Amino acid sequence: MALRKLFCFLCLMLLAPLAAADLVVVVNPKSGIERLSQEEVINIYLGRYRRLVSGIAAEPIDLMGDNELKTRFYRRLVGKTLAEINAYWARLIFSGRTRPPHLAENVESALHYVAAHPGALAYVERSQADMRVRVVYDLGE
Amino acid sequence: MYRKTLMTMLPLLAALSCANSWAAEPDEIPTFSLRGFGTLGVARSASDQAEFARDFSQPHGIKGGQWSGRIDSVLGLQANWQATPQVELVGQLVSRYRYDESRDPEVMWAFAKWEPDARVALRAGRIGSDFMMLADSRLVGYSYLPVRPSADFFGPLFFSHFDGADASLTLPLGSGLLRSKLFAGATSEKTSIKSGIWDTSGSPVRGLVLDYLTGPWQFRVNSASVRFSHDMNFAPVTDLLRMTGVPSAIAAADQLKLADKTTRYHALGVLYDAGPVQVQGMLNTISNETQAFQNSRAGYLLAGYRLGTVMPYVGVSWWKSKLRPLATGLPNPLFAELNQGLDTIMAAGVADQTTYTLGARWNLCTNTAIKLQWDAVRGSAASKLPVINAQPDWNGRTNVISAVVDFVF
Repeated sequence: MALRKLFCFLCLMLLAPLAAADLVVVVNPKSGIERLSQEEVINIYLGRYRRLVSGIAAEPIDLMGDNELKTRFYRRLVGKTLAEINAYWARLIFSGRTRPPHLAENVESALHYVAAHPGALAYVERSQADMRVRVVYDLGE
Repeated sequence: MYRKTLMTMLPLLAALSCANSWAAEPDEIPTFSLRGFGTLGVARSASDQAEFARDFSQPHGIKGGQWSGRIDSVLGLQANWQATPQVELVGQLVSRYRYDESRDPEVMWAFAKWEPDARVALRAGRIGSDFMMLADSRLVGYSYLPVRPSADFFGPLFFSHFDGADASLTLPLGSGLLRSKLFAGATSEKTSIKSGIWDTSGSPVRGLVLDYLTGPWQFRVNSASVRFSHDMNFAPVTDLLRMTGVPSAIAAADQLKLADKTTRYHALGVLYDAGPVQVQGMLNTISNETQAFQNSRAGYLLAGYRLGTVMPYVGVSWWKSKLRPLATGLPNPLFAELNQGLDTIMAAGVADQTTYTLGARWNLCTNTAIKLQWDAVRGSAASKLPVINAQPDWNGRTNVISAVVDFVF
């Protein structure tokens, strides 16, 4: 039991710097969107409904591969692991129902895409959200 | 030998599959993608009095405690071509254990999709039958929790696809989304029955699916109907009934006709999927104009909780038919054999069983999962429809153990 507590404590210590960083969803300032609710972000990222209230088609950007930022994003947004998110997409892709988000190699490339496309969204650290984009949802880490 | 090879290949395949990264794409809209999915699995059913199968399309199942890769192993390839931002072409080839005992590849989907905006989607071509709450395909094992969709619930729904069109409309409603879909077309499949192969192709199908999604909840109402184009072969019983010239016997033979008879399916479903918890349940009723099939009700409940990378789950499903008596009106003992022939046909359509499921899914990596599952089938001795080749000593009970590797690439 004591060992388990120690393990949990060590995990918390290791995760502390991550928790301090804030994860946010950003859009193009021309999207006409000021705020998004958690439900709206879920609907866009999980391909349920990709339309912004301004009428523009939403284009979510995901990060390529299994990286730490992506893991945190889906854990915070829907409480799912990347394996579960992949299983989710497997069932939709192999039904031809909807497309998964576009993939960007890294955060800079995601920001670049958002800056160039009015309907695009991406998730980044708050410190990475620069003048090119607007923060519309805070994942509240 | 085949089984042994399969058993040794399972871990090897799992390791190889993990080495490939899933969905590596460029950062602009991909115009063409080729993806695949598969399941390599073995299963054994304890009873040697009947064969356990995944669904009605399979000509043989598993029995007698023999391990077999027959019922669950499948391999699929899918190509998607995004012709324009609004138009996508999709083709899917699948190799699975078929009605004719081969594993010849078949075209599962081949359709064009037009999405003029995020609310509307129109598809035309060969499209998946939308019976499952989570997906149009029941063959992508990686995408769902258990080894296979409940055989009690989905077993009789042997249509995987149809040739036609569907139209979906998604609109925000209250705090969630209402997704409605209408579909219509004709089936293009054959299935295996006791007396051979039943060609169901060209049977008109149509239906409606309503989904309401809010937060972790999904609610579903689903109605579908199929009007069969071809009869099943019940010779010589039906021929002999007609030859008697007795109106009641001819009427009984007519009742066994399937051509131009409609079967209706209604279902309700609910899904709760939040963080580590997933609970889903569905209820259905199937009613038939023909008396060759009994009307039935079925349901399932499945609940899983993720602990790290392992998700244990428990489930229960049931399938019960309601007998509609059919008699020849011919006197015994003169027509005893013919009366018995009709009774045998009617008895073969009885389903009366409950299945208890216990299993675990282990997400080995983000594109491969290993699953172990135990199913306890507990039915009455009369429950012959859910199994294949039920022997006189079949007591409606068997235990099925399954081990599969599911992957996507």
